[in-house]
Amino acid sequence: MASKRLFDRIDSIQLRGVTKKYDDRFAINDVSIDIEGGELVIFIGPSGSGKTTTLRMINRLIEPDSGTILINDQNIMELEPVALRRNIGYVIQSIGLFPHMTIAENIGLVAKLEGWNEKKIKDRVEYLLDFVSLPSDMFMDRYPHQLSGGQQQRVGLARALVMDPPLLLMDEPFGALDPILRKQLQEEFYQIREKLGKTIIFVTHDIEEAFKLGDRIAIMDDAKLVQIGTAEELIFHPANEMVASIVDTSKKFKHLDTLKIKDLISPLECMYVHDGSLDIESAISSMIGKNIEIAVVSNGSFPLGIVKLIDLLRMDDKESKIIDHVVKIPSFSRNKLLSSSLKIMQKDGHSMAFVMTDGKLSGFLFPNDAFSQVIG
Amino acid sequence: MDKEHKGVDSLLLSDLVEVWETNSLTLRTIEHLTMFSIAIVLASIIGIFLGLFLYSRPKIAHPTLNLLNLVETIPDIPLLVLLLPIFGLGSGPTIVASVLYSLLPITRNTYTGLKEVDLKYVDIARAMGLSEKDILFKVRIPLSLPMIVGGLRIALVFTMGVVTLGGLIAAGGLGAALIAGIQLYKINTILVAGLWTGLLAVIFDGLAGIVEKRLQRRYGIW
Amino acid sequence: MVTLETILSHTADHLVLVLMTLIISICISMPLAFGSLYNKRFGYVVTKFANLAQAVPSFAVVAIVVPLMGIGFYPAVVAILLRALLPIIKNTYIGLSTVDPSMLDYADGIGLNEWQILRYVRLPNAYPAIFAGIKFAFILINSIAILTAYIGSGGLGELIFQGLVAFNNEKILAGAIPAILIAIAFDIIFTRIEKKLTPHYRK
Ligand SMILES: Nc1ncnc2c1ncn2[C@@H]1O[C@H](COP(=O)(O)OP(=O)(O)OP(=O)(O)O)[C@@H](O)[C@H]1O
Ligand SMILES: [Mg+2]
Repeated sequence: MASKRLFDRIDSIQLRGVTKKYDDRFAINDVSIDIEGGELVIFIGPSGSGKTTTLRMINRLIEPDSGTILINDQNIMELEPVALRRNIGYVIQSIGLFPHMTIAENIGLVAKLEGWNEKKIKDRVEYLLDFVSLPSDMFMDRYPHQLSGGQQQRVGLARALVMDPPLLLMDEPFGALDPILRKQLQEEFYQIREKLGKTIIFVTHDIEEAFKLGDRIAIMDDAKLVQIGTAEELIFHPANEMVASIVDTSKKFKHLDTLKIKDLISPLECMYVHDGSLDIESAISSMIGKNIEIAVVSNGSFPLGIVKLIDLLRMDDKESKIIDHVVKIPSFSRNKLLSSSLKIMQKDGHSMAFVMTDGKLSGFLFPNDAFSQVIG
Repeated sequence: MDKEHKGVDSLLLSDLVEVWETNSLTLRTIEHLTMFSIAIVLASIIGIFLGLFLYSRPKIAHPTLNLLNLVETIPDIPLLVLLLPIFGLGSGPTIVASVLYSLLPITRNTYTGLKEVDLKYVDIARAMGLSEKDILFKVRIPLSLPMIVGGLRIALVFTMGVVTLGGLIAAGGLGAALIAGIQLYKINTILVAGLWTGLLAVIFDGLAGIVEKRLQRRYGIW
Repeated sequence: MVTLETILSHTADHLVLVLMTLIISICISMPLAFGSLYNKRFGYVVTKFANLAQAVPSFAVVAIVVPLMGIGFYPAVVAILLRALLPIIKNTYIGLSTVDPSMLDYADGIGLNEWQILRYVRLPNAYPAIFAGIKFAFILINSIAILTAYIGSGGLGELIFQGLVAFNNEKILAGAIPAILIAIAFDIIFTRIEKKLTPHYRK
């Protein structure tokens, strides 16, 4: 039945000297952090450095050997674990949607256990599906295995939000997605973050993602918290070599001057191309069927621009042609220098561009993606 | 009746109706399926509860399953006749023997199903704030359902076999019709009753198989 | 009074029937299973049919043999074979055919011929499954061999049925208990051998 609402908002989360050992090895060694309400803190660091362990201590999936964790000055060890967890959303890379439940049942499960009535649950599920850009009438009654990875991850987020928890823990939520989809979901997440107005603790391996999403970034290494600060602080005053090597992108960009677009092109797959005369309705179903978020609009052979699935879903007039909703994006020849192209894109705020070969569309350029490739 | 000695070729519809009626096969089928259903319901209830119980007491799980395994090795007719002194002649020992044989597959599959649920689902359920009881009823049990149904399907086959043997100890059912056929050497009776018994068993097994496949597909296992 | 001699002679008859049918089943099943390996269609049909036939009650199989062959020892043997062949074929076939493809690729790569692959890769891999099939068949045969006394095969079942007709509990036990002991003894022996054959399967 209904569990207590422990906190309506987060004022502070404090870890004080938290330590956890497995056998003789530290998973977390004397970690202290202060997180303010409404912040998005990113944890980044090498594999096995203790990020997941830290995260899972906050909802008591793991209990510390020593040290205390306070939320709004309450020691979480004094709170009932089930109630605590219903006040904290949890999203993981492997998602873990229950295969025996429909999407609606997955999202509504905890609400049902809380004793909400059918109507209230249904409304909440519809609202959340809409919030993560999945048409609710299409997805409510499906089973998880009928969804693509990206769609499942959206449902995973919706499920974590069902009790409107003031705190969200996200462990590499986009880690398993392919680069184009990951970029898209990062972008969407970035936009809904404001609307969410939640305190979020987010683990990633992707420094670009960290810079893009995080208010502050916490760097972990070998069970210790090495440094926490804003992107600028970390870049300009790294605590040690290791931090510098994670955040210092400038060194790695030295050879950027010589790179050409063709070195970092994401090749075009023809499933992305849609004819401009298509109406929105059919474009939506085609894109959902192909599990793509962005479509290239062409008139016969020439690319005009792109349309995004979330934008199409929001259109009222589903009869109109997609050619009327095209967003123009820059296009570059594949032999152009990467640095100058990126500058142009940055100036106009574009997140993608067409790459042309002999006057024909041959691929895309995603600056963020290009960065990660250069860094990686 | 010499008509019955003409062999397989002469088994026409009219003969079939006659054999069916003289042997009251409708009644026999009802008896057969009644014993079958009682045994299956009992075995499912006991087996699933036993599986749940073993899951909560892992220490005694192995010895118990080994014991049930031993029951499984006992040949069917000796088991039936050993039960006679306790349960008398008729459907009693037949049902008890069916239940004893069915316990192993149902209990074992329930137990393994519950134990081997992918821990990632248990972990996320706990993280969502499900209590241990909710995790058992909303996650572990539903996720082991395909496995439990698999055990039930094996039990169905065992039970069909034992119930048919029940004819030998005056339990009625289709086994009784087979006995009448063999004792009076009525070939048509043997053929009709034998084929019908086999067909019935195959149909039930097929239906259980469909349910099993459905569950597996719905759970995205295949 | 049932004399020890009676029990022993019926036990001997039972064992002869059981072991004979077991050996015949193995001799017929193995070539068929190996054949299925090189004829996928046949393998598929056998597996499907074995699953279907598994569901048919033994008594129905035994009864249906009577119109075809009459009663006696040989009809009993045929009835038993009808039940016991398919599980062995199916298990052997599954054991032989479910080999890690990378292992086959590797064997191919180091230049083993078809026969060597069968001998050194498929067969060792299939031992546990083949053995499980034989063990299963034995349990099945030991049960049906009692039932076939009803169509005149003799053996321990004969004692049980005589006892049932005469309400003679002693006779019933004289038939039932040796049959149970045989089953348990063989189960223990088979389990021993099984563990020897599959050391790497134990945790
Ligand atoms: N249940 C456990 N038993 C033993 N050791 C564990 C357990 N869980 C974690 N560890 C160890 O604790 C350390 C920290 O693990 P943790 O999962 O927190 O790392 P992480 O930073 O999340 O790594 P990754 O980036 O690979 O996810 C690792 O060395 C890991 O092997
Ligand atoms: Mg981790």
